[in-house]
Amino acid sequence: MDQKFTFLSKIDREPSNLIKGLQLVQASEGFVSDEAILAVAEYFNIPPVEVEGVLSFYAQFKRVKPGKYKIAVCDGTACHIKGSALVQEWMRQELGIKSGETAPDGVFSLETVACLGCCSLAPVMSINGRVYGKLDRKKMVKILKEYASK
Amino acid sequence: MSDRAVKLFRVGVASCGIAAGAEAVMEMLKARAGSIPVVGVGCLGHCYAEPMVEAVLNSGESVLFRDVQATEADMDNLLAVGPNKRFEIPPERKSRELIKVLALAGRIDPTDFDAYVANGGYEGLKRALSMTPEQVVDEVKLSGLRGRGGGGFPTGNKWGFLAAKKADNKILICNADEGDPGAFMDRSLMESVPHQVLEGMLIAAYATGAARLFIYCRAEYPLAIKHLNLAIDQIRTHRLNVVNGRELDIIIKEGAGAFVCGEETALIASLEGKRGTPRFRPPFPTDSGFQGHPTMINNVETFGNVPLILREGGAEYAKIGTAGSKGTKLFALAGDLKYPGLVEVPMGITLGEIVFEIGGADREKVKAVQTGGPSGGCIPVELFDTPVDYDSLRALGAIMGSGGMIVIGKDRCMVETARYFLDFTHRESCGKCTFCRVGMTRMYETLERIVNGQGEESDLDFLADLGPKIRMGSLCGLGQTAPNPVLATLRYYRHEYEEHVRDHHCRALQCNALVDLELEQDKCIKCKMCIRTCPVGAISDDFVIDPDKCTRCNSCLDACPKQAVRRVPKRKK
Amino acid sequence: MSIEFKLDNRVVAAEPGQTILEVARANGIEIPSLCRENRISKTTSCFVCVVRDRKTGKFLPSCSACPTPGQEIDATTPEVLDMRRTALNLLLSEHTGDCEAPCTLACPAHAAVEEYVRAGRQGNFLESLKIIKERIPLPMSIGRVCPRFCEKDCRRNVYGKPVAINDFKRLAADLYYDSYQEELPDPIGKRVAVIGGGPAGLSAAYFLRRQGVLSTIFEAMPRPGGMLRYGIPEYRLPKTILDRELRHFEQMGIEFQCGRRLGENLNLADLHRDFDAVVVAIGCWKASGMRCEGEENALLGIDFLRNVIEHDCKVPNPGKVIVVGGGNTAMDCLRTSVRLGSPEVTCFYRRTEAEMPAEKIEIAEAREEGVDFQFLVAPVKLEKRDGRLVLTCRRMELGEPDASGRRKPVEIPGSDFETVADTVIGAIGQRVQAPAEIAVNRFGVLDAAGDSLRVAERLYGAGDCVSGAATVVEAVASGRRAALEILRDIAGIKLETEPEINVSRGKWQYLKKENLVFIRDNVSESDRAQLDQIPLEERKSTFRETTITMPADRVSKEGERCIECSCTDKKECKLRKYSSQNGCDPEKIKGARLPVSYDTRHPLIIQDRGKCIKCGICVKVCKEVVGQTLLSQKKRGFSTTVSTAFDQGLPQSCADCGQCIEACPTGALDWRNKA
Repeated sequence: MDQKFTFLSKIDREPSNLIKGLQLVQASEGFVSDEAILAVAEYFNIPPVEVEGVLSFYAQFKRVKPGKYKIAVCDGTACHIKGSALVQEWMRQELGIKSGETAPDGVFSLETVACLGCCSLAPVMSINGRVYGKLDRKKMVKILKEYASK
Repeated sequence: MSDRAVKLFRVGVASCGIAAGAEAVMEMLKARAGSIPVVGVGCLGHCYAEPMVEAVLNSGESVLFRDVQATEADMDNLLAVGPNKRFEIPPERKSRELIKVLALAGRIDPTDFDAYVANGGYEGLKRALSMTPEQVVDEVKLSGLRGRGGGGFPTGNKWGFLAAKKADNKILICNADEGDPGAFMDRSLMESVPHQVLEGMLIAAYATGAARLFIYCRAEYPLAIKHLNLAIDQIRTHRLNVVNGRELDIIIKEGAGAFVCGEETALIASLEGKRGTPRFRPPFPTDSGFQGHPTMINNVETFGNVPLILREGGAEYAKIGTAGSKGTKLFALAGDLKYPGLVEVPMGITLGEIVFEIGGADREKVKAVQTGGPSGGCIPVELFDTPVDYDSLRALGAIMGSGGMIVIGKDRCMVETARYFLDFTHRESCGKCTFCRVGMTRMYETLERIVNGQGEESDLDFLADLGPKIRMGSLCGLGQTAPNPVLATLRYYRHEYEEHVRDHHCRALQCNALVDLELEQDKCIKCKMCIRTCPVGAISDDFVIDPDKCTRCNSCLDACPKQAVRRVPKRKK
Repeated sequence: MSIEFKLDNRVVAAEPGQTILEVARANGIEIPSLCRENRISKTTSCFVCVVRDRKTGKFLPSCSACPTPGQEIDATTPEVLDMRRTALNLLLSEHTGDCEAPCTLACPAHAAVEEYVRAGRQGNFLESLKIIKERIPLPMSIGRVCPRFCEKDCRRNVYGKPVAINDFKRLAADLYYDSYQEELPDPIGKRVAVIGGGPAGLSAAYFLRRQGVLSTIFEAMPRPGGMLRYGIPEYRLPKTILDRELRHFEQMGIEFQCGRRLGENLNLADLHRDFDAVVVAIGCWKASGMRCEGEENALLGIDFLRNVIEHDCKVPNPGKVIVVGGGNTAMDCLRTSVRLGSPEVTCFYRRTEAEMPAEKIEIAEAREEGVDFQFLVAPVKLEKRDGRLVLTCRRMELGEPDASGRRKPVEIPGSDFETVADTVIGAIGQRVQAPAEIAVNRFGVLDAAGDSLRVAERLYGAGDCVSGAATVVEAVASGRRAALEILRDIAGIKLETEPEINVSRGKWQYLKKENLVFIRDNVSESDRAQLDQIPLEERKSTFRETTITMPADRVSKEGERCIECSCTDKKECKLRKYSSQNGCDPEKIKGARLPVSYDTRHPLIIQDRGKCIKCGICVKVCKEVVGQTLLSQKKRGFSTTVSTAFDQGLPQSCADCGQCIEACPTGALDWRNKA
């Protein structure tokens, strides 16, 4: 197996751990590459096509390398009511990318998620897991600028 | 030491608190508090007031502070138990709430095993172990507890099915895949009192003879997973996981982002490492579930109720609630109301009491409430006298669901609201059943057309005809409930649909395709804020908004200091 | 211990573990299912197999639900059928494909175009002809005069010109028409009278004879052929060709009685007495006038053409000719006038060239032959002056669209002008000239029922006299329909299978090249094959046929241009079969269809994802039956697809066993080779 994926040996080869294995890969690489699929397939002795079938079912797994800063705009019910569609539109205007895309310079990638569970702070987004709530355009632009200049 | 001196600070550091900046507050307070202990606790349920800090005085009195920031001024105020940023739980809420399951939430450090035990933790387990497994099942049956995940199936009966199975490798699963957007009861409970959930599971394991325990938790809940893992380590250390002389395995499995996996058979498939598609029942999981073993699935909140039942007895527990729905229920209140947050109420309370009294919503401004998440239904304000219990809600075409409750104001379009919910559910369909996969897509497309002003009268009949067929022609709860938002809004707000298709009019002025932005010249002070803000250059130098360029993004409306910009019905060309 | 329950009110027994579907099949109750495949674990996906539990009112997928004692299951109530139909309609609403090729659907006679073009591509023109003659009994004529509905809908139009389909027909017929003898059953003793020996009547007689029903054709004119003989000029359809075709009809035992005109020396009562059924196919022979003052001074289009033909094209030079009208008959009159030696031939038409109903090729060829066109001109008065004709016309301009969608010509006041001519021909249109015995409706045509073409008990109509003036191929199609109806009514022979639904990707006008599915390798990119013409001078001075039948190698090569649009699975597809049986409609539910996505990398197996119903049988068969795992479902919801590892196509390790193909209920997986 590719040296890069030796961390898989932390978990049992039991096929029910397949998703766990993919989660480990994503935690380490930020996405699941073709070579990672082959490594996971070999480790669990599951045909690669089946590994693909499983990972493509779940929204969590990314097949392309995400940006340095992963923005998740919440579109949960509360956020939606509080204008998350506008947040997405502002994002598109500011960064020129839509949900599921990574900016060409690789700094930001954007996705829409179902709910970050911070409904009372709606509308919210998270950047690399850190949640920002009660967004308006000004606040959002300010936060993006801070990250961009890091 | 004076009675008024602070004995202990509690800082709410559940996800909402952290998002509002509670970690920085806690760090700074620790640095400033000297010998006074600063404890990170879970959620008190008043998310609108985060970050919250509680000062417990020597007298035992508790003083709450809201919106605390990591500033010297706020720290001084806290340490002096000063008058600023004081928080009182609104009295109406206090009188209506009945806090039982959440009794320890926000009161103890979730990572502190001893604190849990000191507050009555694991007494339920102790009592259970002193009974026979059959007696425990009977106790749960007696309590009248029904599944809190949405289905409302009697929990004791389910336990009885599994207990009756003669098998070595029975499986118990805690469903913590809280997928409903707008719901966070389970997250809060796991983050704030993880041991309570585990205690419930251990009791269930004893009663049913289960050997392996899984918690299937959303990956989006890292803090809950962290706290649960810690708690599992602690119970291993204290050998609490040895039940009937057998050491139980407790494994947390992280979900990977699929709403459908909230459904039993899909959850099991996912747990087995497969695509999360449901299958036909029977066989029921209690006959053949995870890898073919008898399997029982209960939701987090259900397990959270179990220690209570064992502690006080099923009969006592059953004193709260209605004839068919016992105990309390957690709701995540959100939307157009003053006090969003997590609440615990006795079954049988009315919707109006929750929304107006606890949530502080404005009676004049509320149009409806959506219960049961994206697959629930809208209940109009006229029916707010309805008691909250499984059967009353179902009769209205809504469901209890897991407990998300979104208040919808009069300025929301019900067609757009239905479209939003279907946008979610149709994308979450696993794709197996024709009715759900294609039918939901067709319903969603139809709603898209309607909100875009391209709907036709016949579309309404199409929705009303197809919706019930999708309900009846789908294997799992997703398809069986996904048309609900449309059918419920069609039932109560058909006139709004008709206005969209007949007059191309959205009374809530929410549907962008049916709305123009207009600048009222006599209110305008020519400050040019709007012109500067507009991302598409749609506003001319003489302050006229070009409807063809305007994307209705509301930037100018937000930017205008004089509220001179407003949304108006689209002008006919 | 068997379980007893009720299925459609019948008490039936089930073994433990047997599903309702299995029990139904064992008891001869047909419940359709797309996703059940007995060799693999249950999928429960399509929901076409729904049944209803009468007591609970719940719908159950019968492929997975096992009966319980005393259960009452309904499999065929209106509610169940409605659910089933909706499931199928939903599947059809996302289905991206063409059950049948658009050319075949466009052909009024529904000739199997793709199939006869393929046979021609493979050089087997006898096979081509056999296929053609299943629908078109006059292939030499139609191979020459058809306006080619098929080519107008040919998907090749998306990038370039359509396949020259009609030339396959012409060549195949020229080569084998005389020698090919279709199998004919012995006469069954029934007899039909056909009034009118034009294409509709001939077609009716032909398809009746092929089922053993003899007919007698009563023709008013001295010789049979109808418009083919007396309406279409010699240079487009040489009468020797028509005579060859007619000889074949005689050889089949069809009797011709010429000079028999209904209302003169023929009456319906006698025919009804002597025959089992009567077909009226008397065509549209009454020309409409020019509708202007002095119109009686003009010749009428079809009368002019008939006169020329009746005199073997040996009529005097008509002098300077003006033809009024813009249809195909007008073109025929113009080009005939050129050949008769007219020094100046002009067409007057009241709209513009864009609105002209004549075939574009006819207009172009008329122009090549020297015809002058005057547009936006309408006749006002025709008078004789000094032995010549003076036609007064008024100029027009286009106004608002009329009922037909064409912009209506509006007179420009004061724009009148005069033109002198020797011959003026009105070619405005034709109507039915019905004898008293035959009633016509307010549209001037026979009142025949739309589907059956039945006019009255044992009396049927066919061709132009029912439809109004139309094309030869439409008349042939109509004649066949009447024949099928007669066969059913008088002989109990049912030929037409139940109507098949057709999913379509839509007209080519809405498609791009990426939307097309190329199953065959090497679809030729070359230009459309052209018909050779005789020299222009010869065209203008003689009535020789203007075009020359294409040589076989050119036609075969032209076949390489065919994309072969129809579904490989059109005969076996269960979705199509059950949808047809359940009265489904692919257009009933609107919405986005599956994206065009196909895989032809494997030499033998093609995958067309636009036709996938996501049942996942193929994935399971490969894994559970074959013991390989080469396929998997990917993504979820509406976007679910079946795909190979890294979407690289079926690997070397695929044994080409075809089990996935056998299992696939649609054409999503199929053998690559057609036919």
